[in-house]
Amino acid sequence: MALSGTPRPGQAVRADLEEVFRAAYARVVGVAARVLGSRDEAEDVAQEVFLTFGRSSVPATEAPGWLSVAAAHTALNHLRSGRRRASREESAGGPDTVCPDVADAVVTLDERRRVRAALARLPRKQAVALVLRHSGLSYAEVAAALDLSPGSVGTTVRRAESALREELNRHASSD
Amino acid sequence: MRHPTEGTLRRLVDEPAGVADTDREHVAGCPVCLSGLAAARDDAALAGAALTAEVAPDVDAGWRRLSQAVDGSRTVTAAAPRRRWRTALRSPVIAAVGVVALLTGAGAAAAADWLPIFRTERIAPVTLTQADLVALPDLSAYGDVKITSKPNVRRAGGASAAAEITGLGVPRVGKLPRGVVGEPAYQVGDRVTAEFTFSAAKAAKTAEAAGRSLPAPPPGLDGSQFRLSAGPGLAAVWLEARGVPAMIVARATAPTAYSSGVPFETARDYLLSLPGLPEDVAAQLRSFTGDGRTLPLPVNAGYLTSSAAEVNGKPATVLTSRDGLLAGVVWADAGVVTAVAGSLSADEVLSVARELR
Repeated sequence: MALSGTPRPGQAVRADLEEVFRAAYARVVGVAARVLGSRDEAEDVAQEVFLTFGRSSVPATEAPGWLSVAAAHTALNHLRSGRRRASREESAGGPDTVCPDVADAVVTLDERRRVRAALARLPRKQAVALVLRHSGLSYAEVAAALDLSPGSVGTTVRRAESALREELNRHASSD
Repeated sequence: MRHPTEGTLRRLVDEPAGVADTDREHVAGCPVCLSGLAAARDDAALAGAALTAEVAPDVDAGWRRLSQAVDGSRTVTAAAPRRRWRTALRSPVIAAVGVVALLTGAGAAAAADWLPIFRTERIAPVTLTQADLVALPDLSAYGDVKITSKPNVRRAGGASAAAEITGLGVPRVGKLPRGVVGEPAYQVGDRVTAEFTFSAAKAAKTAEAAGRSLPAPPPGLDGSQFRLSAGPGLAAVWLEARGVPAMIVARATAPTAYSSGVPFETARDYLLSLPGLPEDVAAQLRSFTGDGRTLPLPVNAGYLTSSAAEVNGKPATVLTSRDGLLAGVVWADAGVVTAVAGSLSADEVLSVARELR
């Protein structure tokens, strides 16, 4: 790739970007996808995150944690920043599916929307801890990434899960 | 000893090695903590299911894209908003439009002995929750339903073909909202007609099954026929790159329902009194004018809020999803129902609606 051949004034890209990218891309997309429920949107987020990382001086050893937290925050920002974050389900049908099964797919689609809406309402730290833990980061990694003690990671995740359950139930029962 | 914290119980669920032996021993013999642990486990499982994301991104493609973004003048972030402009057609607003399309009827079908009980000149939302919709008994529980012609929804080659097939003027959009680009695809549907014959015996059985007794039907209702017309209609659908619609403009001949004799008010009030209809919905329906010129548009309160607006002097109903992702507007004018919906804001759909030509 031509990264090294095109230095830009004030925009130097770190030399280890490709290495870090290849090692962490799938995980970063995974974190964002848990928030957004959509691979395409998650890949957009991952691009943003790596672009920022490429111009940062985050130590390589801290890169995995930094990237995961950045992916969670950026994805949550995407949830909150606009109202057109409409669903882009992987299974989105073509125009021929317009009329016949309107009712069917609404349920799944709506569940994803609810999860996203619930995540958007959680306190930010809880939402990030929840997403990171469910993305496979250990308690110690989540603690380091969020500057929490490992003990309070459990409390934070527990509260987030409880709040998520309440949000999902509240909507389910109010339907 | 004191009970371990909720956080400790949570960690026991998926990282027990990180929990002190004393805590683990306590929990194993403490009913309170075991119960807390079970709750934590359940919530964790639910969250895990809700946050499932099976993605296997193409790392090489991702790297090429990032390289271009770093190299080129266009940044990734600049490209992102456009790409997020996607919605699924099978979303609640569209479902609402689908309801309209389904109800859409032609005025041409009125036989002399059929009284119009329903000739749409106005659209008003009725708020039904999803549970109500599921619980609402099929009309077949109250009589015989016969579909006499089917909609046969299909693609049309273009605007002029859609107009020719449906006999409707194709609404032309003035200025596309930001993020909606290109030419729309057209869909058309034929007129649907259905006949419903009320059967007091069937209705009584249904009521009985629900543990209720059927209110006495008004004279003449038993065996009465209702005829519903739907279609023709057309829709212009603007697709996103991946084939997901960004905006839909739909138009259809306004719904009409006819009765073979029972007046609208009588039929309405009686149907409202049948077991199964929630009282609040019934109350809203009762407020409909007796002239039968208002189409009740069921709205799922869990997804959508509705509000009143005007489109070129006609009363319109604006539907907005509670999370603000989708909006639609529906109105009726001179026997034609038009709807604009998409992953847009209420202002945007209204703006498109008001500029239709």
